[in-house]
Amino acid sequence: MSTEAPRMFFREAIARAIAEAMRADPRVIVLGQDVGSFGGAYREFDGLYAEFGAERVRDTPVAEAAIMGVGVGAAAAGWRPVVSITYMDFVMLALDPLVNYGAKLRYKTAGRLTAPVVVKTTAGARGQGVAHSQCLESWLMGVPGLKVVSPSNPADAYGLMRSALKADGPVVFVDHKRLYPIPGEGPDPDAETPIGKGRIARHGADLTIAAHSFMVHVSLQAAEILAGEGISIEVIDLRSLAPLDVDLIHASVSRTGALLTVEEGQVTCGVGVEVAARVRERGAAFAVARVGAIAAPVSSNPVLEAASIPNAETVARAARLLLGARDSGHSGAGGGELSAL
Amino acid sequence: MLYRLATPGVGDEVVEIRVLQWHGDVGAAFAAGELIVELETHKALIEVRAGQAGILRRIFAADGAWIQVGQSFAVFSDAPDEPVGDDPAAEAAFLANFVVD
Repeated sequence: MSTEAPRMFFREAIARAIAEAMRADPRVIVLGQDVGSFGGAYREFDGLYAEFGAERVRDTPVAEAAIMGVGVGAAAAGWRPVVSITYMDFVMLALDPLVNYGAKLRYKTAGRLTAPVVVKTTAGARGQGVAHSQCLESWLMGVPGLKVVSPSNPADAYGLMRSALKADGPVVFVDHKRLYPIPGEGPDPDAETPIGKGRIARHGADLTIAAHSFMVHVSLQAAEILAGEGISIEVIDLRSLAPLDVDLIHASVSRTGALLTVEEGQVTCGVGVEVAARVRERGAAFAVARVGAIAAPVSSNPVLEAASIPNAETVARAARLLLGARDSGHSGAGGGELSAL
Repeated sequence: MLYRLATPGVGDEVVEIRVLQWHGDVGAAFAAGELIVELETHKALIEVRAGQAGILRRIFAADGAWIQVGQSFAVFSDAPDEPVGDDPAAEAAFLANFVVD
C-alpha cells in the first residue's frame, strides 16, 4: 500500500490538475479567498502555496468583482489565472467582469486578445442556507464566449480542470459541496476529458436521465431503485453544460424514447430546458419531464433543505410518472413538467 | 482480551477515509493518550489516540489505504501473547471496540 494508490479525494484531483499546469506553465496563477496557506475552503488548493509561493497563489480580499476583474485583466495581459469564487452564489457579484469583459474579449478585439481564465466555484445545498446553496449553472450557459463544465467525480474533475486550463477563453468550472466527501478512481493519465463531451454513467433501455454534478449520483441511486422494479434507466453525465454534448443525449433518447432531466437548480430556464429543446430540435418526439428544485430559496433548515431539492426517491417517482404517462398516451414532446415534489 | 479498532465517527456524508500514518508497528504497546494512527477525511486529519492500554496485534489498512467508515482496521490485545484468530479481519467484527480518545 502506498499514498500513490490511484483512488483519490475529489479535492486532490483539482489540486493535482492545477499543480501540473503550474509546473508546466509559469503563466498559470491562482487568485481567491483562502487559496494560499489555508489551501482553499475545501482544501482543493492544498500544497500549491507551499510549492509555488505567494507570487503565484494569491489570497485576495472578500471582493468577488475585484478578484474576477483582476483575473480577467491578467488573462488579457497573458497570464492564465484560476479565479476561485468559493460559493457559486457570489459569482453574481463578479458577472460584469466575467460576462462583459472576459467572455467578450476575443470578439471585441477581433481575436487579438483572449481571456484564458478558469473560474473555479462550488454550488449546491449542504446546510448553508439561502445565499450559499444555489446552483446557477444555467444562468451562464447562454453567455456567448463562455464555457461551463461540471464534473461529478475525481477523474472528470481532473480531466475537465486540465482541459479548462488549456482553453483559450473563460471556462467556469462548477463543482458541488456534496462531491467533496466522495472519493473515486483517479484519472487515466493517458485520457483527455475534452470540454463538450458527456459520458454514459449507466446503460439502460427504457428512459434517459440527463444530469450533471452531484445529481449524477442521485440519478444513479434512482436508477438502482427502478432496476429493482424492472425499469432500465440510462444515466448521462453531461460533464459539459456549455457546449452541450447534444449528439450523445440525442442518441440515447433515440434508443429509449423518454428523457428526464435532473438538476439541483431551478427548472425554469434551467439546464433541463436547454437539454430537452436541443434534443427535440433534432427530430422525433419523445416523452420528457424535468426534475429540479422547487421554486423557493434553499433553507438552512435541514428538513426544508431536503424537501426543496431532488433526491433518489423523487427522481424515481418522476421517472415512473413519465413512463406511465407515455405508455398511456398522455405525453409526447413537451408533455410534462414535474418539480421535485 | 482482544479488541477491534474501528474508524471513529467523522460526521454525516463521509463514507470512506484514508489512513495517513500509523505511529507504531504490529507488536507496539500503547498507553492511554498515545497517538495510534492518523486518518484523513476529505477535509480533516483525525488523530486516533488510545483511550486504554493495549498491544497492536494486526493492521488491516496500511498507510495510504482506504477504509469504509465503521470498518475494523486493526486488532489490539491486553497481553502480547494472546492468540489472534486465523482470519482476524473477519473475526474483528465480533470484538469489543478498543477505547480511543
